[in-house]
Amino acid sequence: MRFRTGAIAKRLLFIPVAVFIVITLAFGLVNLTPGDPALVIAGDLAADEQVAEIRAELGTDKPVPQRYAAYVRELFTERSLGTSFFTKRPIWDEITQRFPDTLELVVLGLLGAVLYGSLLGTLSSYFRRRWPDSLSRLSVTVTQSIPDFFMGLLLIYVIFYVVGWAPAPVGRIGLLDRPPERVTGAVILDTLIARDWGLLRTAFHHAMLPVVTLALFYSSHFAKTTRAVLSRALNSDQVEFARACGLSELRVVGYAFREARTPVVTYIGILFAALFGGAAIVETVFAWGGLGQWAIDAMLKLDVPAIQGFILVVGLLTLLVYLLLDLIVVALDPRVSYE
Amino acid sequence: MSRARLLLDRVRPERATTPEGPGRARQALRTLARGALSHKGLTVGFVVIVLILLTGFFAPLPHDPIQPNPESTLKSPDGTFWFGTDRFGFDVFSRVFASARLDLPIALAGTLLSIAVGIPLGLVASNKSRWSERIMRGLDMFQSFPLLVLAFAIVALTGNSLRNIIFAIALVNVPRFIRLVRSEALVLRESRFIEAATAIGASRSRVMLRHVMPNTMGIVLAQASLAAAHAIIVIAGLSFLGIGITPPDASWGVMIRVGSQNIATGQWWVSFFPGAMVFVTIVAFNMVADGVSRLIGRAED
Amino acid sequence: MAPAATSPPAPLLEVSNLEVQFRSRRRTVHAVNGVSFSIREGETVGLVGETGCGKSATVRAVIGLLKPPGRITEGAVRLDGTDLVDLPPRQLRQIRGASIGFVPQNPFGALNPVLRIERQFRNVIRSHRRGRPAEIRRTALAMLDAVGIADPERVLRGYAHELSGGMAQRVVIALAMVLNPRLVVADEPTTGLDLTIQRQILDLIRDLAETEGRSMLLVTHDVGVVAQYCSRVLVMYAGQVVESGPVRKVLTEPAHPYTEALLAAVPRRGERLVGAQGTVPTLLQLPPGCFYYDRCQYRSDPRCATETPALREVGPEHWAAVHYDIGADRPVSPLRAGSAPGSD
Repeated sequence: MRFRTGAIAKRLLFIPVAVFIVITLAFGLVNLTPGDPALVIAGDLAADEQVAEIRAELGTDKPVPQRYAAYVRELFTERSLGTSFFTKRPIWDEITQRFPDTLELVVLGLLGAVLYGSLLGTLSSYFRRRWPDSLSRLSVTVTQSIPDFFMGLLLIYVIFYVVGWAPAPVGRIGLLDRPPERVTGAVILDTLIARDWGLLRTAFHHAMLPVVTLALFYSSHFAKTTRAVLSRALNSDQVEFARACGLSELRVVGYAFREARTPVVTYIGILFAALFGGAAIVETVFAWGGLGQWAIDAMLKLDVPAIQGFILVVGLLTLLVYLLLDLIVVALDPRVSYE
Repeated sequence: MSRARLLLDRVRPERATTPEGPGRARQALRTLARGALSHKGLTVGFVVIVLILLTGFFAPLPHDPIQPNPESTLKSPDGTFWFGTDRFGFDVFSRVFASARLDLPIALAGTLLSIAVGIPLGLVASNKSRWSERIMRGLDMFQSFPLLVLAFAIVALTGNSLRNIIFAIALVNVPRFIRLVRSEALVLRESRFIEAATAIGASRSRVMLRHVMPNTMGIVLAQASLAAAHAIIVIAGLSFLGIGITPPDASWGVMIRVGSQNIATGQWWVSFFPGAMVFVTIVAFNMVADGVSRLIGRAED
Repeated sequence: MAPAATSPPAPLLEVSNLEVQFRSRRRTVHAVNGVSFSIREGETVGLVGETGCGKSATVRAVIGLLKPPGRITEGAVRLDGTDLVDLPPRQLRQIRGASIGFVPQNPFGALNPVLRIERQFRNVIRSHRRGRPAEIRRTALAMLDAVGIADPERVLRGYAHELSGGMAQRVVIALAMVLNPRLVVADEPTTGLDLTIQRQILDLIRDLAETEGRSMLLVTHDVGVVAQYCSRVLVMYAGQVVESGPVRKVLTEPAHPYTEALLAAVPRRGERLVGAQGTVPTLLQLPPGCFYYDRCQYRSDPRCATETPALREVGPEHWAAVHYDIGADRPVSPLRAGSAPGSD
């Protein structure tokens, strides 16, 4: 009853269209862009027959509409994203194998970004034009101007090489550690399930730098949003009335924060979707071995089916997150439901 | 026309700081130029960008930026190699400055292209029709996509030529200009001077081109500066991954990539100096954006 | 009616020589310039004036909620003898809500949109004393009942947006008075409400004040409201109190030309409505003489242009900031006569 069924139905009806658009985008990006992947894969020295062979294997020797029909047919009848050109493994397996790793990184990184960013934004708006505001704005200026991969490298140098608090950037766990039994695929969760506390520590230790990198880089979004929304909210009538009723300043900020939560949650959703691809460079820097790093590898090698599959999956994931976001925002705000 | 001008002079929109009407674009630019001098951040940012660009092209560099010195590899900064050398023997100092020759022009070209495409699309999308709604929904989806990765994919698939990098940057930045110009145009259309122009019989396209578009220039300029900063990140990211500019060509991203293999063993200088340069450039662009939005009275504070 | 003037009880609230300024780097707005007044136990005092006359800043100074860059630069606000101006924030917070209840203008803006009403009651009560949820709930229910809410249970469960304007203002009043404050400050509590409901709300506020013997400062720009609900009235102009006294006296025999103009602006049947002329001084730079000089119909005394008049007693408990008595030679309706054609 709380949800506006009409609006939700509209969203749901839009989904098939959106799915269709994403499929076409994934296909079009690979097949309609100028340039011949086969030529690039074969290299400059390859003979014409070799190139033709690769073309046949990729399917790029057939006309585009035919390829599109084949692609869609394969998707829906065999539920297959195709196989990797290089590993010959099904793309779906490649993706599901790496997905949990990326999910862990994205969730932890976003959590850090939200906490740090909202703290900055709150301080900034509460102590407007005083020193905490200047300090937090400085942090925003700095973190938003350092590319995430460079930030990662700086952290590696300072925290690993100079101070020695972090382990070498070699992935989820040490090179000599035995990975936990694979249950969920997410290393931290799996060590929890295996009750391997030592390994859990190691996993957290290895996750520290990449998570901090993402958290710092994306905190600026949250800091700016929170500052803008909270500044307005702290000046609102309801905050004045709350103060007039003698509520403590902490409570008052809490009242104001409730007004800020919708935009913050929206931002979390947007970044969550974007980070599945967006964390790719950070994954590469820290040899994280997740979805993003795999996609970058695929792009460098021009593994056409892999690129296609990645874009499709990330696109669908984005759709899903946006739908959830709509529902959450409605659920968060009691006013929306009765309109 | 002159009567129209008179009328336009009298009816000003509510937003006092926005110059309005045709022929005001030049005046707006003059105001901007004058204001730039009175605004420290804007001046500093602008000067820094110009300096980086000029030194990249004209400054005498101590070493050849694309000629390695095989006998001095991975040297720490000293009197001969001020910023040290990388593991191939390239002089980091020379390359840091030479990188501006590629990175900055590409960023600016990509931004210009996205403006050139974004403004007309934004103006078209500001027509209130069902189609413009649909375009915006499509844009929503497109923008929600990890655009950075999309840019990587495009450059990887089309081959890494400068032209393709520019296209990719433009593509990534186009949505923000469409969105911006559209929302500006929607507001401007409601303002009184546009009503006046329509009332005296100016055609729709004329109103758009001569009245609405010039008035969006200030905010577009601010956004362009942010887009350029973003473009710098994209280029550096591309080259860092080995998809964009490749060695021996000098690019900040390439240099950071080369240095990344030595940073865990303590040779910080190879990555640090190009990274710092990226940082300075982005801060400079952000300062310009901030200054411009302050000048046209659109800053947050 | 207030008791005879022989031995007036000590005032509950005493504001003396209050000055409020809004300072920014470029300019200073002198919002309140030396305001003094007092409110006795059980008394309802009206504060009238046009928009921008400093009513709001005065009220915010009293409850200690001036928004920066506004601040009190001079004077004292004494509640029961304690000066609130220099009180540490923590103690001031304890006084707000518990000793001073505040009823704001816009009830919908004042209620938190995403918290249930019950939660808002709990937060207010818990800020001042301990209480079990069940007990707090009973208190809230009783209070809602007292402000005339028909179904308090349902209101407690719901959110602000489910209430009508009148109901929302009743809930706000209940929140403001749930801790039984001795002084209620109501800042134009009926703005934006339907005319019929305005009356109900004002009646309610008065009844709540009278039954508990509370004092009240009622801010309004409606002279009619003052006439009906207040025992004394303060007239503010350009950040100063220009006249104060018993309502009946001030409204029938105004001693300040501004009060007179304000009364003339109240529409009456069969008379032409006339606004005051001249301009209000900008509060950036205060004029050297009387603040009302520009608009005054009576100005003549040379002191009017050079010396700011102080409040002086013009009758029993009746004070006005004028240099001389306007009562004696007042025509029937000076403002109306002055605005006739050819008067300029």
